[in-house]
Amino acid sequence: MDPTLIKLAIGGIVLLGCIGLFFGIGLALAAHKFAVKANPKVEAVLEVLAGAQ
Amino acid sequence: MARLRRITYLTLGFLLLAYLLVFSGCAGSQNRFIKKTSFRGTHSILITFAGPVDEEWATKASNYRVYEKPDPDIVLKISTIELSTNRQTVILHFEEPLNQNQPHMVTMRGIMTEGKSVGTAIVKVRKLYLGYLFSILIGAMLVQNFVFTKYLGLCVFFGTSQKRSTAVGMGVTFTIVIVASAMMSWFLYQFFLKPFHLDFLQIIVFIGLVSLSVQAVDTILRKVNPMLFKAFGVYLVLVIANCIILAVPLILADNEYNAAESLMLALGAGLGFLIALFLMSSVRERLELANVPPTYRGLPIAFVVAGLFALAFLGFSGMSIF
Repeated sequence: MDPTLIKLAIGGIVLLGCIGLFFGIGLALAAHKFAVKANPKVEAVLEVLAGAQ
Repeated sequence: MARLRRITYLTLGFLLLAYLLVFSGCAGSQNRFIKKTSFRGTHSILITFAGPVDEEWATKASNYRVYEKPDPDIVLKISTIELSTNRQTVILHFEEPLNQNQPHMVTMRGIMTEGKSVGTAIVKVRKLYLGYLFSILIGAMLVQNFVFTKYLGLCVFFGTSQKRSTAVGMGVTFTIVIVASAMMSWFLYQFFLKPFHLDFLQIIVFIGLVSLSVQAVDTILRKVNPMLFKAFGVYLVLVIANCIILAVPLILADNEYNAAESLMLALGAGLGFLIALFLMSSVRERLELANVPPTYRGLPIAFVVAGLFALAFLGFSGMSIF
């Protein structure tokens, strides 16, 4: 294999991995910071319903 | 108090942006003897001098050298030169029409005024930058409306245009999300993908960014403004399934737009979609009451209406504003 291609592939994996990690952590932090308390009963009731629509 | 300060910061930011936009387009005159340069019509460039120039110098074509900024090797041929009676303005006529989207460079060798030379001048001729940005905005909004001339985003377009209120809600959500995601994808493309020669991965990265911005808006809006979140409802998630939101970053990457131009294109695409949804929903609300033949009821007549709108939008084609 051409070493420049391997370099490109590894660079791409590392770069995209870093971008993904960065935004993933960002989203997780945002979800933590902007967490909304949901009533667990809502979910339970929805579970029981037929859920066709 | 804190609110007032925030508003002050915002205003300052906007003023700075406006200042940058206005003055980034005007710089470039390197000689104090040249007052103004501009395009005139399709074939000509107008140059205004600070004082009267000698006729013998001004009407000699070999004293001028004009080229498009990206191609300094290709010198444009001047056919005739026109000097005004007060000898302060010169109009250069060219054989071929000028591509006014590119800035042009004009070199004037040894400008003679009243028998004295005031040196050589290299000046840039370009369209007013603000006008160029505005033409991108109007172009994406009307002339090349993504729904009616490129037939993109039709699934969401037909899905959410039954009621006017939902159509407007969808349009507004869409505009917000597309501006956010287009700016992010522009940044990532210019500063990460291009330097690392990974432009072939652009589609994957842009898809990820779109879903990321949708998710982020969803999470933040749920907490910050629950009323608005409820109004957006299911449409926020539907934005992911729209192809315009993927087309805009690809166009930005292809055309090598800068930040301001990208913002204008994204805004134009969003507002164009809003206009399309609004028009369509207004018609479809009336169609509910009309006596449509049974075969055409529902989606078929909506497609016919969309085709008529597309024909109407053809009227904008070939329109240029600046």
